[in-house]
Amino acid sequence: MQCEQIAELLPDYLQESLSGEQRQQVATHLTTCAQCSEEVALWQKLSLLPVEQPGPESRARFEAMLHAYQAGRSEQSPSRFEERKRASFWSSFNWFRSPLGAVAWSVALLAIGGFIGTRFNRPNADTSELASVHRELASMRQLVVLSMLQQQSAGERLQGVSWSRREEQLDPQVLAALLHTLRYDGSVDVRLAALDALGRHGRQPQIHQGIADSLQEQQSPLVQVALIDQLLEWRDPDATQRLQNLRQIPNLNPTVRQRADWAISKLN
Amino acid sequence: MLQVRDGAGEQLGVLFDRYQAPLFNFYAKLTGDRTLSQDLVQEVFLRILKYRQSYSPGTPFRAWIYQIARNARIDHFRKTPRQVPFDPDMLPPVLPKDSAQAGQESALLHCALMQLPEEKREILLLSRFQELKYEEIARLLGCEVATVKSRIHRAMLQLREAYHQLEQGTAAKRAKTAAADYLPPQGGSHAV
Repeated sequence: MQCEQIAELLPDYLQESLSGEQRQQVATHLTTCAQCSEEVALWQKLSLLPVEQPGPESRARFEAMLHAYQAGRSEQSPSRFEERKRASFWSSFNWFRSPLGAVAWSVALLAIGGFIGTRFNRPNADTSELASVHRELASMRQLVVLSMLQQQSAGERLQGVSWSRREEQLDPQVLAALLHTLRYDGSVDVRLAALDALGRHGRQPQIHQGIADSLQEQQSPLVQVALIDQLLEWRDPDATQRLQNLRQIPNLNPTVRQRADWAISKLN
Repeated sequence: MLQVRDGAGEQLGVLFDRYQAPLFNFYAKLTGDRTLSQDLVQEVFLRILKYRQSYSPGTPFRAWIYQIARNARIDHFRKTPRQVPFDPDMLPPVLPKDSAQAGQESALLHCALMQLPEEKREILLLSRFQELKYEEIARLLGCEVATVKSRIHRAMLQLREAYHQLEQGTAAKRAKTAAADYLPPQGGSHAV
């Protein structure tokens, strides 16, 4: 057989997918042809190349991406162009730092203060305007909470949870984000803080439901015990059943089982 | 994959554990850039999440994920073209004299592989390291199986040529270095 004919068979020979007869033909040719046998040797030699392994941070990045995606936003960082645009926007305020600028904005603040003072000291102050300012502040706080709950650092997410405690009534979006945090956050501390924040708003019935539902999914004994205590505190009608279901989980931590038994005895 | 498609995001973790290493190995060998390879692996899994509905049952998952991986790379280089084209001279030309033979051969092979045009390197990596069948590669590249085989043969010929050149270059440099080691010290006894 000539090299041209062998060349057609060689790729299959390399992947070991030739029939017995053809394999034999190629093998015979290889004993006599240095060039073709060199090609086979080089193919085999490629196994010497080390297998490149991803770094340990790869899994953590993936988790963060998954959480960000599930929370409805992708991990994409702003482009350089946007960063530059933002930088140039802020740099246009640099003149505030100059002495002339300082005098100018002191005067402006004084004028605004005087205006607000005269306006709100009037007996018939416009209360609807005040209410709208309050509403705007509340929605801004909600935005802050929502964005902080999606941060990669556990510390910032904790801060987000603590911000949510300032609200008297939880906005449905914040509530959903807190329940999501309670279920899926990677940090036990953040999950515990979320439970604490949700516990403060126990008057909202969907919170009872969300917390009771998350009981079955928790893996950390610390969070499980805190959830049991919360259910005991609220004494919902289905609390006993929920705790019984928890007890059925195989490999449940003994301390958690003990706590569930204790809570069931208290509930009855 | 069907569970991922139907919304079980947690199942994606299982796929990630199974495919991140082979994908990373593929990208790292193809681009020679570890940081970029890490980014591209993340991009592949983000795309799986985004486009999971387009996965139809019965499609071989391996072929599907490599299709995504290929598109992710192409899109990346379309958005950010390479600043500096690959320059073989940037690779270490002379290997340490005392390095083991296998290490030397592996370094030479790496250099030779990086000298191939990207499409030839890609087809070799897919068939040799990612263990894709020629039929799968043909579907991936949108060509006939016979074309895949002939491209692999041509890529191997070029790899052999590049490997030989590097081998000869290294041998010549080593001979020069060895000769320099035996030169008598300069000056002193040769003064007129």
